[in-house]
Amino acid sequence: MSTKRRIIHTLVYIFLVVGALYTLFPLLMALMNSFKTNGELLTNVISLPSKFHFENYARTFEKMKYLHSLVNTVLLATISVSLMILFSALAGWKICRTKTRLSRVLFGLFVFSMLIPFSSIMIPLYKVTLALHMKDSIIGLSFVYAGLGVSMAIFLYHGFVKGIPIELEEAASIDGSSDMQTFFYIIMPLLKPITTTICITNVLWVWNDFLLPLIVLSNNKKYTLLLSTNTLFGQYSSDWTAILSALILAALPVIVFYALFQKQILKGIADGAVKG
Amino acid sequence: MNNKKHPNRTLLIFCAPALLVYFVFKLYPAISGIYYSLTDWNGINKTFQIVGLANFIEIFKDEYFWNSVAFTLKYVVVIVVLANVAALTLAVAIESLPKYKGLFRTIFYMPNMISMVIGGYMWMFIFTKVLYYMADNWNFKFLDKSWIGDPKYSFIAIIIVATWGAVGYLMIIYMAALQGVSTELKEAATLDGATTWQVFWKVTFPLIGHAVTICIFWALNSGFQVFDVIYALTGGGPGRATQSVAINIYEEAFKGNIRYGYATAKSTVLFLIVLVVTMLQLNITRRREEEL
Repeated sequence: MSTKRRIIHTLVYIFLVVGALYTLFPLLMALMNSFKTNGELLTNVISLPSKFHFENYARTFEKMKYLHSLVNTVLLATISVSLMILFSALAGWKICRTKTRLSRVLFGLFVFSMLIPFSSIMIPLYKVTLALHMKDSIIGLSFVYAGLGVSMAIFLYHGFVKGIPIELEEAASIDGSSDMQTFFYIIMPLLKPITTTICITNVLWVWNDFLLPLIVLSNNKKYTLLLSTNTLFGQYSSDWTAILSALILAALPVIVFYALFQKQILKGIADGAVKG
Repeated sequence: MNNKKHPNRTLLIFCAPALLVYFVFKLYPAISGIYYSLTDWNGINKTFQIVGLANFIEIFKDEYFWNSVAFTLKYVVVIVVLANVAALTLAVAIESLPKYKGLFRTIFYMPNMISMVIGGYMWMFIFTKVLYYMADNWNFKFLDKSWIGDPKYSFIAIIIVATWGAVGYLMIIYMAALQGVSTELKEAATLDGATTWQVFWKVTFPLIGHAVTICIFWALNSGFQVFDVIYALTGGGPGRATQSVAINIYEEAFKGNIRYGYATAKSTVLFLIVLVVTMLQLNITRRREEEL
């Protein structure tokens, strides 16, 4: 039994190591070749670079306005998710605590819309952003993300509030705390675990979303990392060292974020999915 | 106690910010979309008129649109099965190990951190440069295919990249579910003489039914809207051979034709298809879960 088990474990390890190499293969190939010259890339694609050409990075850093796009993306993700969290925590808490027909209708309204696919609303949404003069506005786009994201977040907050005893709020109310005070001083701290989950899943969503910025942002000063990478890809279709260094630069922030917070991220992803 | 007397007023005040952004950016576009789908609105003329069901009649005859629907259906079926089987296999394999669970989990989730546009371009490099190199220098002749240019192979390429990007997420959900299955139950079954295979299908699998539902739902939903992978890899080409519905709608609205009204009508059809399929899926899996 024990030798049989050891053989099985070894086979599983081999299977997983092969799988892991396959998973990392595109990333490693991109990384390795991003340091080569185009000549070396063509003659010897599967090898470490003979010399590290950091000038590839210097060039694309400039070309894709890296810092500028990075700041845009950080702003977009931060503002979007802050709005989403504030709006949906307020709503989710009150909807859960109010037992009226209206609260049930509101909850149903928010939840139902989770079924509407983005591609179904993108054209009228584009028209709304034009009408509100939000084209090329990072802040405007953040409000769009808040609007698209609140349903799911309200659903998660609603579910979480159900598990919080109501006595705390009642005691605060008897002590003369207003609803807003109760919300900010008592409820928000209690919601922290689910807020973390909502924060992580939505930051990743906004950060990696491509189609919405592609439609709304046309001024390259407002480009997110993905949009400037995409533009660079179009301009340098055969200059692979330029493209690969741009891809690595674009992937770098999320990889660092992942390295720092992987425990929280993986837990947040699992919680967000299972409760949703 | 003002708030006790008017519960609905307080409720509306607290919901106001969420309701506002939700109405303006989700509900209004969804409802006005139905209206626009009945018009000849485009990006050229300033005014537009109601044309009744003309757009829908045109869609009915639009060969390219139905090709994109067929392509999307084919994609959805393959991705739902493949990504779920791969994710569940990985999850079970990792959970069976005594060590290095965290390491493997971290690596397999990695592609999900990166946008599929970035991942797609990295794979583009693999398909157009690395595989040819392997075919030429290592004599791997089966790799010598036009992975991006030939629709027969570009479908495979799209599936490879999409699976690569989706598996980690599903695996995390399956792993969380597997950790919830009690070991006593599995040990009891083993003591009763069940083989590992039987324990998995008779004990573990029924207990992770909820995760299966979530994963299939997610794969279906994101599959029907597939855009990024295809945009990065083939752009829907060659010709329109690998157009998904989302790519087809995007091109209709924002490239070349700018026929917004007609494109919105297509969006409405997509919504109906997604609605019917997800309802069916939820019904079937819920019934299945109840039976188990």
